[in-house]
Amino acid sequence: MQAKRMNPLRRFFAIRGMGSAMIAFAALIVIYVVFGLREPNVFSPVNIQNLLRSMSKYLIIGIGQSYLLITGNIDLSLGSVVGMSAMISATLMTHGTNPLLAALIALLACLVIGLINGLLVGKAQLPPFIATLGTMFTARGIGYMINGNRNTDAIASGIGKEAGDAFQNFFYYGRTLGVFNTFLVAVVVFIIFFFLLSKTRTGRHIYAIGSNVDAAKLSGVSVFATTTKAYMVSAFCAFVVGLILCAQAGMGNMEAGNMYEMYAVASGVIGGISPLGGTGLLLGTFAGAAVWQTLENGLNMIGAQVGLQRIVIGVIVVFAVLLDVVVRRGTRKRIK
Amino acid sequence: MGDLIVTMEHIDKSFPGVQALKDVHFELRSGEVMALLGENGAGKSTLMKILSGVYTRDSGSMHIFGQEQGDLTPRQAQALGVAIIHQELNMCRHLSVAENIFLGREQTRLGTLSNREMEQEARRILADLKIDLDPHKVVGELPVSKQQMVEIAKALSTKARVLIMDEPTSSLTSREIDDLFRIIRELKAKGCGIVYISHRLEELKYIVDRVTIMRDGQFVSSMNYADTTMNEIITAMVGREIKEKFPRVESKPGKQVLQVRNLNAGRMVRDVSFDLREGEIVGIAGLMGAGRTETTRAIFGADAKQSGEIILDGKPVVIHGVADAIRAGIVLAPEDRKKDGLCTKLSIRQNIALPNLDMLCNRFGVVHRTKETAMCDTAVDNLMIKTPSVDKDVATLSGGNQQKVVVAKWMARNSRVVMFDEPTRGIDVAAKVEIYHLMNRLKQQGMAVLFVSSEMPEIMGIADRIIVMCDGRITGELPAAQATQEKILTLATRFETKVAAAANQ
Repeated sequence: MQAKRMNPLRRFFAIRGMGSAMIAFAALIVIYVVFGLREPNVFSPVNIQNLLRSMSKYLIIGIGQSYLLITGNIDLSLGSVVGMSAMISATLMTHGTNPLLAALIALLACLVIGLINGLLVGKAQLPPFIATLGTMFTARGIGYMINGNRNTDAIASGIGKEAGDAFQNFFYYGRTLGVFNTFLVAVVVFIIFFFLLSKTRTGRHIYAIGSNVDAAKLSGVSVFATTTKAYMVSAFCAFVVGLILCAQAGMGNMEAGNMYEMYAVASGVIGGISPLGGTGLLLGTFAGAAVWQTLENGLNMIGAQVGLQRIVIGVIVVFAVLLDVVVRRGTRKRIK
Repeated sequence: MGDLIVTMEHIDKSFPGVQALKDVHFELRSGEVMALLGENGAGKSTLMKILSGVYTRDSGSMHIFGQEQGDLTPRQAQALGVAIIHQELNMCRHLSVAENIFLGREQTRLGTLSNREMEQEARRILADLKIDLDPHKVVGELPVSKQQMVEIAKALSTKARVLIMDEPTSSLTSREIDDLFRIIRELKAKGCGIVYISHRLEELKYIVDRVTIMRDGQFVSSMNYADTTMNEIITAMVGREIKEKFPRVESKPGKQVLQVRNLNAGRMVRDVSFDLREGEIVGIAGLMGAGRTETTRAIFGADAKQSGEIILDGKPVVIHGVADAIRAGIVLAPEDRKKDGLCTKLSIRQNIALPNLDMLCNRFGVVHRTKETAMCDTAVDNLMIKTPSVDKDVATLSGGNQQKVVVAKWMARNSRVVMFDEPTRGIDVAAKVEIYHLMNRLKQQGMAVLFVSSEMPEIMGIADRIIVMCDGRITGELPAAQATQEKILTLATRFETKVAAAANQ
């Protein structure tokens, strides 16, 4: 009575969300090659390096937002938490705090925002759009106030040039084995959360509540705990990106991470993470962040205006979701 | 028969506005199949949801395996060995069969999901049940009957000793029902207690040991299946006297207004044909899920139909959407007022005007305020809607008055056919009577009225003719004078015989 086993290739594509992730990768290759043919410098090793570094931020925040999108929620506070992380860690460092301790304190602050999001959405059942809109303003406000409503001085002014350089190199300017550290940080974050999402019980529950919250509840899944974990992941990702921005500038910028919550949605959605919940792979988010940065990079290299870049991103995001909606409608019809 | 494994005593449960359970008793022994029977809304599902931890009771005591239990959560009930297969499918469509079976009790090793083990286990459970399904398959891509089997497999995989099945066969094919019955017999032999809720009374004889009958949220009786007859069961299920007064108005049915011919729309409307006459009220009776709502929606054009003809005043009308039906003069007051019938955040005026804006606007699309006011005032007067002003939000009205607003939406047009879906659900007795008067008034004005109701006394009291549906088909038609509750229930449970094969075992 055993059902036939599928061959490996079909099994690979039978993984839910793999189809859209692969479409995003295919789009990535096409976009890259098209730009490369117009502007050979796109293929240059230096450009590839820069591309990998610039996509890293969007990959990390994309991962955080993907966790929420898969649960059927959203985290609008993501970008503000990025800013808060940058401002807290930079302010502490300008006062001479050890970078490690400064980062730890910033992390705790970010996780508190994640926890509050979880309480508001998972426990108080506020609409996630509203709850995280509130924490978005709050976190940005905290970021402003940390250093008295102004950007910080150079972090080197507090912790000294040596430590400042070390911090900046670790997160932005340095390389390991020829690859920018920023990208390596992104890869580590990716691996951790890829594992959490695809291999653990928490990950399974994240998909379950996004797919059918009632079924999950009746199966004994704690919606509150799962939602909160997803918001904590998002806050953690924002924290990491905050450090990267701080390292890049060598100081804390009050507007750091502005709009990043939306960039994060774009990365996820281009990669096939359904904004309606229940499906999507972080592999897709990876492709989505890469597609976006390749586009921006390519358009830059051929000298297109910033305005045009934004329009192209806008069209691609809508197109990706349209694809998702059409595919879903298709499956539903087949079931009937 | 084995020991008592579940005892529920003096169980009360109320929801806002309704007492769902009143002083209910229930007992289950190991190694028996207990049929829990009753009409729609008798409280069967509510009682079982309390036993399985979905709802908490207001008062009463509950013993499971001899142990007194407080309020349970679904997880605690599961841990005690109580599993429930819900009537409405509760699956995560995006997850695979194996993932759904193990949802909430995933096996892990060092924090990592043991996918291979769970898949093997799922494969074994499915093979045991002789269900031909790949555990990898995504549930959303399976047909409903297979999804139902997954739900059953999920409940069994918890090694439950009390298994509750709420209408498990409603979407199964005859072969799958055979399989299910075989599984039930095996579980029984292993000493499990099984609660079996079904409207398909003809299934009972294959598996059931005892029956418990509920009515209007109360316990009626409990007996051995062998000691009773189908007639006794039906009588116990319906056995209430008709208390309410039904203001019947006699009028001579005139010429035919609406003819529905061989209407097909999905699984729930199959080959439906009937006629409506001028000045006549026709009721559609049937159990939950008989396809009554779906029939009205298909006629109204709210759902797509596959085939069939709708003839209005002798002329075929083409209805592709709601707008076509409204223009032709066929209107529907839907079952769920708040969801489908009214925009609850808008005023009475806005609600009444909404479907009539074509008549109220000038050619630039600007609403003619005086015309609108006149229309709303007439409607409010005619239907005696109790409100200080037409500009009050409909949400502030009582259920009965809200229902009148739904009807008022359609009164401004010269509609020929008015369909009501459960018009008196959730409104008090006085308001009910007003709705009956309203239907009578429409009837006297020469309209054809069709109404769906789950309350048999109401159908028998108001309708001139009763159409009974079961499982998407019309199974009979009775003039009001000849209708009895027993006759209606017999027709309403006349399922196509799916269990013939099981009988041969």
